[in-house]
Amino acid sequence: MASVEFKGIVKRFKDNTVLNGVDVDIKDHEFVVIVGPSGCGKTTLLRMLAGLEEVTDGEILIDALRVNELHPSKRQIAMVFQDYALYPHMTVEENMSFALRLKRTGRSEIEARVQEAAGILQLQKLLKRMPKQLSGGQRQRVAIGRAIVRNPKVFLFDEPLSNLDAKLREEMRVEIAKLYQRLNATIIYVTHDQVEAMTLAGRIVVMNKGIVQQVGSPIEVYRKPANLFVAGFIGSPTMNFFSGQLRSEGDRLLFVNENMKLPIPSFLLHDGDRHAGREVVVGVRPDDVLVGRDGAECSGKMEAVLEVCELLGHRENLYLKLGGLRLLATVEAFFDRSPGSAVTLCFNYRNMHVFDAATERRISE
Amino acid sequence: MDILRSVYQVAGFIVLISLGVAVLEGYFYYHFKYYARSWFFPAALTVFPLLALAGYYGVTWEHPLRVWAYFVAAEALVCAAFRNIVKGRNTLPYLLLAPAFVGLALLLVYPFMFEVYLSFHDLKLTTIMMWKNTGHIPFVGLRQYWNVFTTSPLSEVSFWALVGRTLVWTFSNVFFHVLGGFALALLLNNSIRFKGVYRTLLVIPWAMPQVVAVLAMRGEFHATNGFVNIVLGRIAAAFPFLAHLGVGPVQWLSDYPLLTCTIINVWLGIPFMMVVILGGLQSISSSYYDAADIDGASYFQKLRYITVPLIRPVLMPALTLGTVWTFNNINVIYLVTGQAGGTEQADILVSALYKAAFTYNRYSYSAAFAIVVFAMLFFISVFYLHGFDAAKDER
Repeated sequence: MASVEFKGIVKRFKDNTVLNGVDVDIKDHEFVVIVGPSGCGKTTLLRMLAGLEEVTDGEILIDALRVNELHPSKRQIAMVFQDYALYPHMTVEENMSFALRLKRTGRSEIEARVQEAAGILQLQKLLKRMPKQLSGGQRQRVAIGRAIVRNPKVFLFDEPLSNLDAKLREEMRVEIAKLYQRLNATIIYVTHDQVEAMTLAGRIVVMNKGIVQQVGSPIEVYRKPANLFVAGFIGSPTMNFFSGQLRSEGDRLLFVNENMKLPIPSFLLHDGDRHAGREVVVGVRPDDVLVGRDGAECSGKMEAVLEVCELLGHRENLYLKLGGLRLLATVEAFFDRSPGSAVTLCFNYRNMHVFDAATERRISE
Repeated sequence: MDILRSVYQVAGFIVLISLGVAVLEGYFYYHFKYYARSWFFPAALTVFPLLALAGYYGVTWEHPLRVWAYFVAAEALVCAAFRNIVKGRNTLPYLLLAPAFVGLALLLVYPFMFEVYLSFHDLKLTTIMMWKNTGHIPFVGLRQYWNVFTTSPLSEVSFWALVGRTLVWTFSNVFFHVLGGFALALLLNNSIRFKGVYRTLLVIPWAMPQVVAVLAMRGEFHATNGFVNIVLGRIAAAFPFLAHLGVGPVQWLSDYPLLTCTIINVWLGIPFMMVVILGGLQSISSSYYDAADIDGASYFQKLRYITVPLIRPVLMPALTLGTVWTFNNINVIYLVTGQAGGTEQADILVSALYKAAFTYNRYSYSAAFAIVVFAMLFFISVFYLHGFDAAKDER
């Protein structure tokens, strides 16, 4: 197993800059998920690590060895592709042993390694089948098996679950988590699905527009998003944002816009006076919009109108209108009010986020 | 004024054909409209043969009863076909397709039946007047087929030598077609500049009328004025040691006619294979190559283990077509060597067949010969198509 280091990675396709100075340090045995919207450059980054794309500028190190110019097969990595890329004219066994056969590994060793991987992934009964005779989940397992057989230093997963249906995706997610515990390998996993990122990752790398926005453990990224993009991208349903101005009133700091006036406690922003007059965006997750009840660290009460309810089973989404603003609250199920009725709400201060409107960076603690 | 007359003739011909199609369409229209009614078949059996007989009367009035009987039989056949084949709601498509089917029957089925008929009889230069005067030719059973295998269609070459030569011709041509087409397709499949220009240039031999292309190439193989010999002569003059090794102008058309034909036909056939294989290559997902890169496959290993297996499904039909076309290729052979007094050294089965029919006037023998050639091609196609199905199953 190995560590991976990206140093100032730049990727340009002619005039189009896809990656602009990516620095990430991945430790041995770490499960890192690179997450971001489509077109943010995450797959390009992975393909550059695999050696399938040229590096325009910067360095990629595997185990402190510069691999920029190394052929993909010499980098001791294995990749699981989004469309699996199983060779359609080979059986499962031939697919899994292809790399070893190319290296002229001994027949008994090939057999042993294929059997071991097949045992881990429960593929023993499928070894003689062709890929087209397999279901989506089985193909996925074969693709992972093909990676395991090579015994690589680093596993690369390129959106491996995006071609599966929702139920199968959940199952495979658990499978991959178990696999990580068993192999204890360095895994780099690219996805656009923040649920996969949150559930699988040891560390998350959030990317947007070719730039790393934040690196951190799932809970850090969730609790302390570094900027507006991360705050909006991580977490489902999406965070509510309100833009306004900070004003100093007596010894209190207030967040003010046309529809609300919130005191900002000092544990969120100390040195309140310093921030007075600043244009900011306040973010509150739907879970932290408390409707019709009091929290320990609750802001002042506000009156809103209930527009639509969505019952999800154990939770309920409430679409509320606060003056001219719309916001979403998630509450325990059976919020027994009809649309149009007035509700009181407050925000849970503990989990409120304040961002600078101009730089979009987080300024609260 | 000649040109006006030509235009007039062509226009008249078009009007005639349109009228024929209209009559045919009207005839089928009434069948399609009323064939389900109980009164229709008796009425059709009376009316249509009588109308046809009236038309026939406009031409001649020989054997009216016999001709009428033919018309009634034909009408009965059409009625039976309607009763048993045309069913359900999709009568309009059948109605619209019917003239095309009749055209196909006239152009393909009738000549084929006539060929089978000829092959069991004896029509040749000495019996053709008898056929013209009496309408009869002697029935000879399978003797023409016996003759195909035992006598020669030409003056010098035996049938079995022709078979061998045809197989060598077909194999070498198709081999170089695929080899050249594959190589060019691989080159064009890279991201290179001016790809469209190269592709257009490479497809030209195929897009040109074959007669023009072959005659132009034949000129290039001329002994003294052809490009090939001029180049060979210059090379021999510039490098005397090569001249010692035997490099120099060659009497292509008289000494190596089959080789010349092969070179010309390879040049003509490569573009088709190139286009087909290029299509196949472009349909292969690049992620297979990515996976193979990571698995450590070299360029030739990728070619061997990924590209070739994955283009087999498109290659097999192209190979079948290419084999049949080459086997049947009379154009190149005839245009290069076949004019009156030409050599027989380059003749393959079909060009010998052409000569047997139209130089030696052995019509029935040629009909039997053609059916034998057809049978060979039929088996080759079945063999290939079997391979094609196997390739498709693998996907």
